[in-house]
Amino acid sequence: MSLQISSLSPETLIHTGDVQITVTGETGRISLRARGKLAPLDKALGVKLPTKIGTRANKGDVEALCLGPDEWLILCPNDDVSALKAACDAIYEKLPHSFTDISAREITLSITGPQAAELLTIGCPRDIASIGVGEARRTVFDNASVVLWCDGPDQFRLDLWNSFAPYSAELLITGAKEFSAETALT
Amino acid sequence: MSNYRVKGLGRVDTGKPVTFTFDGKSYSGFKGDTVASALLANGVHLMGRSFKSHRPRGAVTAGSEEPNALIGTRRGPGRFEPNTRATVQEIYGGLETNSQNKYPSLKFDVGAVNDAAYMLFSAGFYYKTFMWPKSFWDKVYEPFIRAAAGLGVSPSEEDPDTYASRYLHCDLLIVGAGPTGIAAAKAAIGKGLKVVLVDENAEVGGTLLSEPQSKIDGTAAWEWLETEIAALKDAGVKVMTRTTAIGYYHQNMIGMVEKLTDHLPELPTDMPRERMWRVRAKQVVLAQGALEKPLVFHGNDRPGIMLAGSAQTFLNRYGVKVGNAPVVITSHDSAWYAAFDLHDAGAKVRAIVDTREDVPDDLTKAARERGIDVKVSHTATATSGRLRVSGIRVNAMKGGAVEQGTWISCDCVLMSGGWTPSLHLFSHTKGKLTWDEDQTTFLPEHTPEDCVVAGAGRGLWGVKAALDDGVAQAAKALTALDQKPDTAAYDVTDDRTGTGVTYRELPTDKNTSKAKAFVDFQNDVTAKDLRLAVREGMRSIEHVKRYTTNGMATDQGKMSNINGLNIAADALGKEQPKVGLTTFRPPYTPTTFGAFAGYHRGDHFEITRKTQIDSWAEDQGVAFEPVGQWRRAWYFPKPGEDMHAAVKRECKAVRDSVGMFDASTLGKIEIVGPDAVEFMNRMYTNPWTKLGVGKCRYGILLGDDGFIRDDGVIGRLSDDRFHVTTTTGGAPRVLNMFEDYLQTEWPDLNCWLTSTTEQWSAIAVQGPNAAKLLAPLVEGVELTDAAFPHMSCAECTVAGIPARLFRISFTGELGFEINVPAPYGRQLWEKIWEAGQAYNVTAYGTETMHVLRAEKGYIIVGQDTDGTVTPHDAGVAWAIGKKKPDFVGKRGLERPDLKAPNRKHLVGLLTEDKSCLEEGAQIVFDPNQQIPMKMVGHVTSSYDEGTTDQPIAMALVEGGFDRMGETVYIPMPDRTIAAKITSPIFVDPDNTRLKIGA
Repeated sequence: MSLQISSLSPETLIHTGDVQITVTGETGRISLRARGKLAPLDKALGVKLPTKIGTRANKGDVEALCLGPDEWLILCPNDDVSALKAACDAIYEKLPHSFTDISAREITLSITGPQAAELLTIGCPRDIASIGVGEARRTVFDNASVVLWCDGPDQFRLDLWNSFAPYSAELLITGAKEFSAETALT
Repeated sequence: MSNYRVKGLGRVDTGKPVTFTFDGKSYSGFKGDTVASALLANGVHLMGRSFKSHRPRGAVTAGSEEPNALIGTRRGPGRFEPNTRATVQEIYGGLETNSQNKYPSLKFDVGAVNDAAYMLFSAGFYYKTFMWPKSFWDKVYEPFIRAAAGLGVSPSEEDPDTYASRYLHCDLLIVGAGPTGIAAAKAAIGKGLKVVLVDENAEVGGTLLSEPQSKIDGTAAWEWLETEIAALKDAGVKVMTRTTAIGYYHQNMIGMVEKLTDHLPELPTDMPRERMWRVRAKQVVLAQGALEKPLVFHGNDRPGIMLAGSAQTFLNRYGVKVGNAPVVITSHDSAWYAAFDLHDAGAKVRAIVDTREDVPDDLTKAARERGIDVKVSHTATATSGRLRVSGIRVNAMKGGAVEQGTWISCDCVLMSGGWTPSLHLFSHTKGKLTWDEDQTTFLPEHTPEDCVVAGAGRGLWGVKAALDDGVAQAAKALTALDQKPDTAAYDVTDDRTGTGVTYRELPTDKNTSKAKAFVDFQNDVTAKDLRLAVREGMRSIEHVKRYTTNGMATDQGKMSNINGLNIAADALGKEQPKVGLTTFRPPYTPTTFGAFAGYHRGDHFEITRKTQIDSWAEDQGVAFEPVGQWRRAWYFPKPGEDMHAAVKRECKAVRDSVGMFDASTLGKIEIVGPDAVEFMNRMYTNPWTKLGVGKCRYGILLGDDGFIRDDGVIGRLSDDRFHVTTTTGGAPRVLNMFEDYLQTEWPDLNCWLTSTTEQWSAIAVQGPNAAKLLAPLVEGVELTDAAFPHMSCAECTVAGIPARLFRISFTGELGFEINVPAPYGRQLWEKIWEAGQAYNVTAYGTETMHVLRAEKGYIIVGQDTDGTVTPHDAGVAWAIGKKKPDFVGKRGLERPDLKAPNRKHLVGLLTEDKSCLEEGAQIVFDPNQQIPMKMVGHVTSSYDEGTTDQPIAMALVEGGFDRMGETVYIPMPDRTIAAKITSPIFVDPDNTRLKIGA
C-alpha cells in the first residue's frame, strides 16, 4: 500500500525527537504573473509585491513570495482566492496579468525540529543555510521541483506538486528515521 | 600461534578483545584493529593470492592503497563484499572474512601453475594469445577471459543494506587529517567559517598515529592530537572519519563516501551502510600526504615483505610487530626509523641494507648503538620462502658492479623506495603537474579549481614541515575567502625528516630476463614486462599501461605508477615528463555501487508520480504501466481475466454503455493575458482567433522542422484565458518550448504560462450513457447537444465540486472530461462510480483507451508519429490554418521533402487472415523480391481487443493515401502476412456516436 498524501487529510507523517514532518491542510495558492508598474496589483492584493527573488511580504493572511522577475506565489486562506481574483480582475485593463489558481496543485509539508535543516540536505543540492529566515526558494528536492520556505532556523515548509508528494515524503521519512538511528548511535 | 602484539604500543583497545574468522579459522584481536593488523598480531602474513600468477601474498601496506591483502567479508545473508582491503576493514565480533583467488586453499592453490608458466604470461599476453583463430573468440577465449577476470566473486544475493546521501556546503574543506590538515583547520577556526576536515581512516591523525615519538610545541604527538581535535570540534569544525574523498568534480564539488556501519558488530535499524556526501566547498586544501614506493627487485612480493612505513604503522598504531627478525632494504632515510622502532619494540633487526653510499651519520650511529648490522651501497637480488619470506640475498655494489650475494635469514623484509605525493584528487581537477628531478616525482603546479595542496602532498617531509605548510597553504585559502590569515610556526622535536634516492629496478647480478621483480603486485606486472612492452613498440605510458595492465588493479596504480613510469622512461631513453603520467580518475579508492545509488533503489529507484485516483485503482487490483514518470492504470483485470480479456471487456463496455478513465496525467497549461490568443496562433498550426469562449479545438504543435511534436484539446475559458492540454509525457517539454519562444522570440507578447497539470484531477466519462450518467451530477450546464455541443467547455459544479467540464472524446463515443481541484479527484471518481452503477459503469485503463482511439483513427504522438511525421502524413492537415501568416513549423512544412508526393502516410491495415500484426513490423509491397527487401513503412499501432470483428492496425506506408484498397505484405520470421490498406477510421466514420441523441 503506497503512501497517501493529501491536503484534505492533514497529518503528521513522522515525529522523532529531532524532526517532525506534517502534511498541512488546504490553503489558497495563486500563481501571479505581471510586469511593469505593480502598484495596481499591490493595491488589489493588499500587500506590496516584493521584487527581490526569494523574498516575501505579507499583510494579514495574504503572503507574497517573489519567484522570478515577473512571477509571484501568493498564499491566502482558501476562501479568499475568489475575492482576490475579483480584485485583480478589476485592475486587469490597467495592468494586464495572469492570475491562476493553483491552490490544488500542490501540498505543503511542514518540516520542523533541530534537525530539520540537515534533513533537507538529503535531497536539496542548495545550501539550506543560505535561505534566510523569512525567505523562500524555488529549488529541487530529490529531483522534484519544490518551493522551500524558511520560517525559522528549524522551521521549514516544502511545497510539492501532488503527484510527487508520496515519493518525496517517503524519502523524508526514510531520512528522519536514519537521523534518529544515527543520534541513538552517538 | 605466536603473538606479535607489543605491550604498551599502539592505539587499539586491549581491554576490548574481538573475535573474527579468516578462512573459517577464529582469530582474536582488539577493538581498533584492522583485519590485517589482527592477523599480523597472530603471525599471519599470507592473506591472498595475486590475480594472474596466483602467487602467495601478504599485506604490503597498512592503508587504503593495499594491492595484495584483498579479502571477502560477510555478515549474514546478502552482506558479502569481495575485494575488501584487509588493511582498511576494522574487525568486529562476528566478522567473517575469506581469502580470494585460491583453490582449493590459500596455502595450496592449483592456479599457482600460472606462476611456473610465467614465461607464457608476459606483457600483452591477452593480445598475443587470444588473437586467432577468429572463430575461437566467442566460444573459447571470451568465456575464458571472463571467467578469469577479476579477483573475488561478485555477490549473488540482493544487498539488504541501505545507502544514503547528503549535500554539504562549506567554506573550507580539508582532505586528510594528518598534521598538515589539522594545522590548516586550526588556522581557519575562529573566523566564522564553516570548516570540514575529512579523513578516510577510522581515526584522525594521519602520520602522527604512526610517529608518536615527535613532540609538537612541547607536547607529545598523541596528546597534542587529542587536544587539537577537541579544540577543532569545539570551534565548530566538522571532523569526519571513515570518510574518503573519492573524486574532485567541477566547481569545487567533492564526492565523499562515509562508511557508517562496516565497523559495528550490531547493525542498528534504519542505519544506512554508507553515505555519499556531495560537497560544495568554496576552498579546498588537499592534505592527502604521500604514499611509500616499493623497491623493485627479484622476489619482492613474498608474504612478509612490506613497506617500511607500513610496518611502522602496524607497530605504533596497532601495537603489532610484523616480524621478530626483520631486514630493512631502503633507498630513503625513513625506513631506518622503522628499523629502530622495531628494534626498540624487541625485534632482532638482522640488517639495514641501504642502496646509497652516503647515509646521514646520525642514522648509522643510531643503528650501531642498537647493534644493528648496517650495509650501505648494497642491493637486494633475491628472496626465499614459499608462503612467507625466510631470507633475502644482498650484494654489495662497487663502482656500478654488483658483487657476489650473501643470504640473510629473516622473517620479514621492510622496504622503502621513497615516497610519492598523493596527487589523485589534484589530478581530478585537471591540475597541472610539474616534474621534480630531485625527488624524482611529480609535484602539483596549477589547478583551475579553488584548491591548494599542502604538506607531503607537495613533496615536503617531516612533521614540522607538514604543520607549517598546513598553516601556509590554509593562509592562501583564507585570503581567497577574504579572511586575514594568522601566521604560526610549530616547534617540533624528535621529528624524523629525511631524504632518499629513487631507483628503477635495483641493480642485480642475476639474469634480468628471468627476474620476477614486481611493479604492480596485484596484476603481477614485473619490470621485465614493462621493458618488453617498450621493446614491442609501446611509446606512450598510456599504451604501456594497457599492454601490461600496470596500474590497472584495484589500487589504481598507487603502488606502481611511479615505478612503472621510471622503468618505462628508462627503457625508452626519455625523461619521465616526456613519457607522461597516466590519468588519475575518480574514485580514489574502490567505491560500492550502493554509495553511488544512495536512496535510489527498490521502491525509491526513481520518481513515480501518482494521481489522486491511483489509490482507488490500486485497491481494485489494477495493473499499472509506467508512462514517463507517471504510473498509470493500464487495465483492471477481474478475477481470472488476463490482459487481453480485461481490455476486450473494457472496450465493449465503453461502446455499449459507459466507461470512466483517469485522465489526470494529461499535461495542462493555462495561458493567460491579452496576447494569449496571438501566442496560440503562433505556436499551434490551427487558427484560434475565432474560437469562441466555451469552445474547444484539437490543436497540433509542430517543431520548426514541420514535424508533429505534440497535440491536445484546448479550451477557451475567456477571451484571455486558454486551458491547453498536452500529451502525458510531453507536458514539461511543451511548457519549456512555449517558455523558450515566449522569452526569446516574442518577449513583446503580453501573456504568461502556468503549469496546471497538477491543479486538476481529470476524469473522462465516455460512452452512449455518459450524458445520462453525468446529468444528475452536473450543475450549471445542461448536457444536451444544443446547450453543450461536442467540443464545448464550461465552468460548473459536478457532484458539488467546482469543475471545468469539457465535452470531448478520445474514444469516438459521446464523452466528457471533468476537471476538479486535484485533491477532490478520488471523491468525484467515487461519486461517478456510484452513480454509474445503474449503467454498469466500467473503469478502463490506458490500454483500452489506446484501442478505442485507434478504432477511430485518432493518433498518439510518439506512437503513430516518430518525429518525422507531418500533419499531412498523419491525415490531420485539416488542423492547419491555411490563412495564418505564420506559426511554428510553417516554413518547415514548405521544404520540398515535406511536400513530396510519396511520403509515408498514416493509413489503416486489415489483415487477410485476421491475425494481429506486430507493432513495429516492417511493410513491403512485393513479398517475392530479393532480400534485402525494400521496406516501405511499418505498423505503428495494432490491436485485437477492439469492438470491430477483427484486429485493426495503423501503419505508416509510402504513398499510403493513394493506395487505398491495395494489398501490402508484412514478412515475419515464420510467414508473410498480407494486409489491405484502408482508412484508419474503423468505427463510426460519420461521428454519429458523438451525439447525445434523444
